[in-house]
Amino acid sequence: MAGVRFKNVTKRYGKVLAVNGFSLDIADKEFLVLVGPSGSGKSTALRLLAGLEEINEGNIYIGDRLINNVPAKDRGIAMVFQSYALYPHMTVFQNMAFGLSLRKTPKDEIKTRVEKAADILDITELLKRKPRQLSGGQRQRVALGRAIVRKPDVFLLDEPLSNLDAKLRVQTRAGLSKLHQRLGTTFVYVTHDQVEAMTMATRIAVMDQGIIQQVGKPQELYNRPDNAFVAGFIGSPAMNFFEASVTNGPQGMKLDMDTFSVPVPKDRLSALNPFLKKKITFGMRPEHIHNREFLPPGCEADGDCITASPVKAKVEVTELMGNEIFLHLVAGDKSFLARVDPRTSAKPGQDIEVVFNMDNMHAFDPETGQAIHTQKEKGQGEGKEKVEKSIDLPS
Amino acid sequence: MMARKLEPLLSPADGFLPRLRKILSRWPLHVILIVTALLWMTPSIGLLISSFRPATDIASSGWWTAFQTPFEFTLDNYSDVLSQNRMGQSFLNSLIITIPGTVVPIMVAAFAAYAFAWMRFPGRNALFIFVVALLVVPVQMTLIPVLRLLTDLNMAGTFPAIWLAHTGYGLPFAIFLLRNFFGALPKELMESARLDGASNMRIFFRLVLPLSVPAIASLAIFQFLWVWNDLLVAMIYLQNPELAPMTLTINNLVSSFGTEWQLLTAAAFISMALPLVVFFALQRYFVEGILAGSVKG
Amino acid sequence: MPAFLFVTVFLIYPVIDTLRISFFNRNSTEFIGLDNYEYVFTNSTAQSALLNNVLWLVLFTVLAVGLGLLFAVLSGRVRYEAMAKAAVFIPMAISFVAAAVIWRFMYAYAPEGFTQIGLINAAGTGVGLEPIAWLVEHPLPYTDVTLPGPLHTNNFALVAVGVWMWTGFAMVILSAGLKGISTDILEAARVDGAGEWQIFRRIILPVLSPTIAVVATTLVIQALKKFDMVWVMTAGNFETDVVATLMFKQMFNFSDFGRAAALAVVLLAAILPIMLISIRRFRAQEET
Repeated sequence: MAGVRFKNVTKRYGKVLAVNGFSLDIADKEFLVLVGPSGSGKSTALRLLAGLEEINEGNIYIGDRLINNVPAKDRGIAMVFQSYALYPHMTVFQNMAFGLSLRKTPKDEIKTRVEKAADILDITELLKRKPRQLSGGQRQRVALGRAIVRKPDVFLLDEPLSNLDAKLRVQTRAGLSKLHQRLGTTFVYVTHDQVEAMTMATRIAVMDQGIIQQVGKPQELYNRPDNAFVAGFIGSPAMNFFEASVTNGPQGMKLDMDTFSVPVPKDRLSALNPFLKKKITFGMRPEHIHNREFLPPGCEADGDCITASPVKAKVEVTELMGNEIFLHLVAGDKSFLARVDPRTSAKPGQDIEVVFNMDNMHAFDPETGQAIHTQKEKGQGEGKEKVEKSIDLPS
Repeated sequence: MMARKLEPLLSPADGFLPRLRKILSRWPLHVILIVTALLWMTPSIGLLISSFRPATDIASSGWWTAFQTPFEFTLDNYSDVLSQNRMGQSFLNSLIITIPGTVVPIMVAAFAAYAFAWMRFPGRNALFIFVVALLVVPVQMTLIPVLRLLTDLNMAGTFPAIWLAHTGYGLPFAIFLLRNFFGALPKELMESARLDGASNMRIFFRLVLPLSVPAIASLAIFQFLWVWNDLLVAMIYLQNPELAPMTLTINNLVSSFGTEWQLLTAAAFISMALPLVVFFALQRYFVEGILAGSVKG
Repeated sequence: MPAFLFVTVFLIYPVIDTLRISFFNRNSTEFIGLDNYEYVFTNSTAQSALLNNVLWLVLFTVLAVGLGLLFAVLSGRVRYEAMAKAAVFIPMAISFVAAAVIWRFMYAYAPEGFTQIGLINAAGTGVGLEPIAWLVEHPLPYTDVTLPGPLHTNNFALVAVGVWMWTGFAMVILSAGLKGISTDILEAARVDGAGEWQIFRRIILPVLSPTIAVVATTLVIQALKKFDMVWVMTAGNFETDVVATLMFKQMFNFSDFGRAAALAVVLLAAILPIMLISIRRFRAQEET
C-alpha cells in the first residue's frame, strides 16, 4: 500500500516535451484520474510511473522509495492496458498466473489467488479459455484480474474502458469504483473521457500539452475551473464561451456581446473591475441557460436569474435526450447550447427567450486563459491547496 | 511531512553511474551484432576487392593484403570478362530471360489471385489449396517430362521455352502470396466499387492493382532474383551456349578455368550487381509485402 | 484460365509422367517394376546422397532459423537495425553461382608452405594450424578422426554456405513477424515481472511460433531441393552429392531416365508430409 509522488518530472521525445515539469502527490488509497485530450501527456506520465519510459528530469516515488532507476517489475505496480495486452497463447488462468509464476510463487498459492480474483470479477467459468474466445468485456475483466492477483501497491489503468461499447462502459465504471473500494489500493487511471473521470475519481488531474492544468475533486473542477481549458474540458455538453466586453451602464456593470448583454452579479463586481472597458472570455454552462417558460426551482426565487435580462435567440436544432433537451441557439452571430426542460415547445426556426443564470457565470482572462476568481473563490482555492498539501503519505 | 523525509534521497534522475551501467549492459549486444554483420559481409567484400586485382596478385596473395603497398588495382578483369568470354552476351541473355520471366508470371498470377480472392466459382477453395500444394513439387522432378514435351514441340533451347518454364514454376508462390494480399483488402472497397457499377476488369485494374503495389513489388523482387539467379532451368532448357545467361556462363568458367580467379571474381560481381541494385531499390516494399502476404497474424 | 494451363503443363503433368517413368528402364521402353527404387535405396552413391540430404535438412534448417531468429531479435533493439539487416540479407540477392565463386575463394587451399589465398586457411595457418582442403578432406579438421556417413568436413563447408545465403531470408520474415507482436503485450510482461530472457522464452517464442513454422517449412523444402550450390561448388564430387545433383547426373551424364525419375519421386515423397502439414495450417489460417 503506498502513495505516489511525481516531482518536477519531464519527458522529452526529441524536441517534443511530452510531460513538462509534472508534479503531483497521490495519496494512498486514492482513485486518481489523469484526464486530458489525446497528446496531452497523460499516458506518458502513466508509463513513466510504470517504468516503461525513462524519465529525463525529476523524480518519482512510490511510498517513500525513489524509483527512477527501478525496473518496472520491481516497482510493485500492476497495469491494465487499453488493448488489454492479454498473452494470446495462454489461457485465462495462465494469463493471470504469469506474473506470479515469474516470482516463483508456490503453485497452490497461485491457484488460490487466481481463483479468488476470478471470483471477484465473475470470470471463473472462463479460466480455461484463450483470449480470442472471449468477448471484449470478458477480456477487459481478465486484464483486470491479471493485475489484481499480483496484489500491487499501485494499480495503473490506461484507458481500460475505451474498447467497450457504451452500455458496458457504464456498467464497468461502477464495477471499477466498487473494485477500488474493495481492494483499498491506490488507483492511477488515465482516460480522455471526462465522464469517466467525473464518475470514478476521488481526485482528477486535468492535463494539456504535457502540463497539469488543475488538480482537484470532481466537483471542484466542475464548479471552479482554474482556466478556460479545464472549464471547456470538464462537463458535458461543454461550456459555452463568448467574447465579451466589460462595460458600465445605467443599470451597473454588464457583459456586452454586441448582439446582447447580460448583467454582472454583485459578488463579481470587484473581481471584474480591473477589466472594465476590456475584453474577457465569458463562460456559461449549457445547464445554466434556461428556457424562460420553465425556470428551474431556485432560479425563480433568485433575483439575479430573473433580472438577468432575457436573451432572444433563434432555435437551430433540438436534440431530445429524454429527461432534457439540448437547444442549439443563435443570437446574432453567437451560437451556443442550452440544456433545458424537455417540456419546452421550442421548435427549430422558432425565436425563444432564454435566461442566463449569472450566479454560475465563469470569467477568464482572454490572454492567459486564467480564471478571474472572486475573493471568495480564491479563498476556497487556497484552502483547497492547503488541504492537499497536508495529505501525508504514510510510509 | 513527506517532502522533508524525501529530501536526502533526492538524486539526479539520470546520474552518470546508472547511465554508464546501461551502456555497459548493452555492450555484448552491439558486439554480437556488429561482428556477425561483418562476418556476413566478409566473403562479398573479398570478392569485390579481388575482382579489381591483377591476375598474378590474386593467385599469389590473399585479397586482404590488397591494401598494403604497392597498391595495385585494375579494371582489366572487367574488360576481359565483358569482351572475351561471351559475358556481355550472357548479360543480355540474362535480361532477355529475366524480364519476361518476371512480368509474365506476375500478370498471370495476379489475375488468378484476383479470381481466387474475389470471384465466386465452384471449387474455388479446393483449387486454391491444390495450387498451394504445388509449391512443394521439386523443380527437378518436372525436368524430364517437360524437356520431352518441349522437344516434341520443337521448343527446347529457345527463349520462349524458358519464359514459359519460369512462369510455370513461379506461379504457385505468386498466386499464394497475391491471393493472401488481395484477400486482406477491405471488402467494403470492392462492394462499393461494384455498387458504382465497376466490372471485374475495372476493379482489378483500377483498384486492386494500385493497392497491391507493395505485395507485387516484393513478389517481383523474389521472382526476379529466382530467375536471374537460376542455373538449373537454364542448364536444361537452354543447351545452346549462344543463349546462355550469366549463371550458366559463370558456371562453365568455374569448371573450365577453375584457377582463373580474376575472371571468375569479376564475372561473379557483374552477375551480382543488378540483383543488388534491384534489391536496394525495392527494399522498402519488401518487408511490407511479405508481411502482408505470407505471415498473417 | 491460363494459370491452370501453365500449372498443368509444368507441374501436374510432370509429376504424373515422372511417376510413370520411374517404373521403366533407362529409355522408358520397358517396364522394370521397382528396380530403380532398389537402386535408390541400396546403391552406395545414392545412399550417400540421401544421407547428405538429411544432413542438409537438419543442420541447414536449424542453423538458418536459429541464426535468423537471433539476428532478428537482436537487431530490433539497436538504431542501426536496417544496416545490420542488409548485411545479413545481401547474400540472398546473390546467385548460387556467384556465391559459389565467393566461397571457393574463402575455402581456397594451397599445400602447407605455400601462400594461402583463402581467408579461412590463411587465418588458420596464421595461428599455426595446418591448411585444410575444406571442400575435399574428410577427417575432422585438425584431427585424425574420420566421422561416418554424411558428417564429412566438406558437407559441413557446403551447409555453411547455404546457411550464409538463407539466414537473411529467415531473418527478414521473422523480424516482420516480431514487429507484428503488439508492444503492449511485451510491456505487460515486463510489468508482470518478466526479464528479457523470460519475455523471449515465454512470450515472443510461442507467439511467433506460426511464423517460425512458415520459415522452417520453406527452408526444409529448400534443403530438399538443394541443387545449384552443390553443383557449382563441388559438382557432387567427394561424396557431397545430394539427391538433386545425383538425379541430374543420372539424367544427363548416364542418360538413365528411370533412375532419375525414381530419385525425383523419392524427393517428392519426402516433401509430401510437409506439404500436408502446410495445407492443414493454411486451412486453419483461413478459418480464423
